[in-house]
Amino acid sequence: MVAATGGNVIEFLAEVGAWFADPATWSGRDGIPVRLWEHLWISGVSLAGSVAIGLPLGLAIGHTGRGAGAVVAIANIGRAVPSLGLMGLAFLLLLPLGLGVGPLPTIVALIALGIPPIVVNAYAGLREVDRDLVEAARGMGMREREVLGRVEVPIAMPVILAGVRTTAVQIVATATLAAAIGGGTLGQLIYIGFNVGDQVRIFGAALIVAALSIGTELGFAWIQRAATAPGLRGRAYVPMEPAQVGRGGGAATPP
Amino acid sequence: MRTNRTFVLGAALLALVVSACTPGEGDSPAASAGGESQAADLPSLTIGSAGFWESAVVAEIYAQALEDAGFTVERDFELGARDVTHPALVAGEIDLMPEYIGGYLAVTYSGEPTPDIDESLTALRTELEADGLVAFEPTPGTDADGFAVRQETADELGLATMSDLAEAAGDLTWGVAQECAENPNCGPGLERVYGIDFASLDVETLAACSTAIAEALNADNIDVAQVCTTQPEIAGFNLVLLEDDQGLAPAQNLVPVVRQEVVDEAGDVLEATLNDVSALLTTEELTNLGAAVILNGESYEDAASQWLEDNGL
Repeated sequence: MVAATGGNVIEFLAEVGAWFADPATWSGRDGIPVRLWEHLWISGVSLAGSVAIGLPLGLAIGHTGRGAGAVVAIANIGRAVPSLGLMGLAFLLLLPLGLGVGPLPTIVALIALGIPPIVVNAYAGLREVDRDLVEAARGMGMREREVLGRVEVPIAMPVILAGVRTTAVQIVATATLAAAIGGGTLGQLIYIGFNVGDQVRIFGAALIVAALSIGTELGFAWIQRAATAPGLRGRAYVPMEPAQVGRGGGAATPP
Repeated sequence: MRTNRTFVLGAALLALVVSACTPGEGDSPAASAGGESQAADLPSLTIGSAGFWESAVVAEIYAQALEDAGFTVERDFELGARDVTHPALVAGEIDLMPEYIGGYLAVTYSGEPTPDIDESLTALRTELEADGLVAFEPTPGTDADGFAVRQETADELGLATMSDLAEAAGDLTWGVAQECAENPNCGPGLERVYGIDFASLDVETLAACSTAIAEALNADNIDVAQVCTTQPEIAGFNLVLLEDDQGLAPAQNLVPVVRQEVVDEAGDVLEATLNDVSALLTTEELTNLGAAVILNGESYEDAASQWLEDNGL
């Protein structure tokens, strides 16, 4: 069993470096390239799914203002549901359909986990838009869809994108658990490392996941800034708890 | 009002602190079941187990047998994998661990166990000595990695042994542990012993020996599953365990591993009691114990005491 030497951090990090430098680490079914790609595409598909479901839902509730209670419920459930438990549940539910092993249960679970921050932020962002602007837009003869698309969403864009960013980071980090239910991803390297007692590999793979998560955070932060209308760029939003959502504003903070 | 609230908060805090400070009890009721007459002479010992049912049940059987012999036993079960239990044993946090000859030798001591039990046990004992540990007599029963298929698959393809499976290997979806490609008992072993080209197989990974992998097999998501030979789901799902006809699996008999200090203190009673128990743990008995705790949901205590009763111990 390969164990990390006593307290010698430098030696351990040198071993991790050696692991990264070893060509074997980059080859085969359980090499970094295969599992990294798997991690990325599963995360991407799941994010797309969360946005496809969560964004229309959040915009609809936010625009009409009805259903604040539902948003709070969604937010709280989203925080309470354990990720691995949900993946296990998805695995069991998809087994009878012959789809239990493979990426599908992971994707289903990640989409479900990713929906709450998007819904909460879309709702909160829209609720924060100055009511006078909305009324003015209606007064100008804009239809509801135009009010939403041309006034509310552009103003709420930073908050909406913050929600997408939160979900993206959460998905990238949580996708790692897929290895527990046969879904692969970088988590596979961690599980193998754990099973054979190779702490160097566990650390190395975890390092990549951490780098991915940080990269996702920074990448989406850039997108968020780029997509915010210039007139709104200076404006800071104050993150609030979901409990305050019903009272007219609140945004999910990135973890 | 304020006084009431303060009082309630104070009481709750006190209760929390008191409960946190209370030392944890063992998993089972206080060990006073056995005879008291020799208790003064015999040391108390702590028995540990790994995090799965078989280790816990066998540990519980040893525990109850030793209590009946007059020892005071503390239980520290389901500690985790070998990277937790082995250091605990060496350090004296636990005194006795039921272990598997092949697995222990290969994983903890990087040894190379063979299907030959004497060879493997001798090699293991040499390693254990350096750590101040002793292994007593092994059980006749074994629990090794094996491969199972559904009854329909076995009927359709005429599969009874691993050699049979080797011929059909490429047409099937294999469910194996994540580390199979590196485990000498799995991927490389399948190649070496049965000539299966592991790298070209259609493989899905799940935890070996788990209920999940057995369910995936049963639900037709995979066609071959890496299981443990005493796994209850084999009988539960009517699966076919393929015979290891070419001897891939190393000797996986159980042995009680005890700290030398405890052995010295305890004398012959310890060894005799453990060996009497071990002698009766056949593979069939292990499998039945698995059925009891996993399929029938019995507690480890009940299953163990029932087994000891049935076997006149």
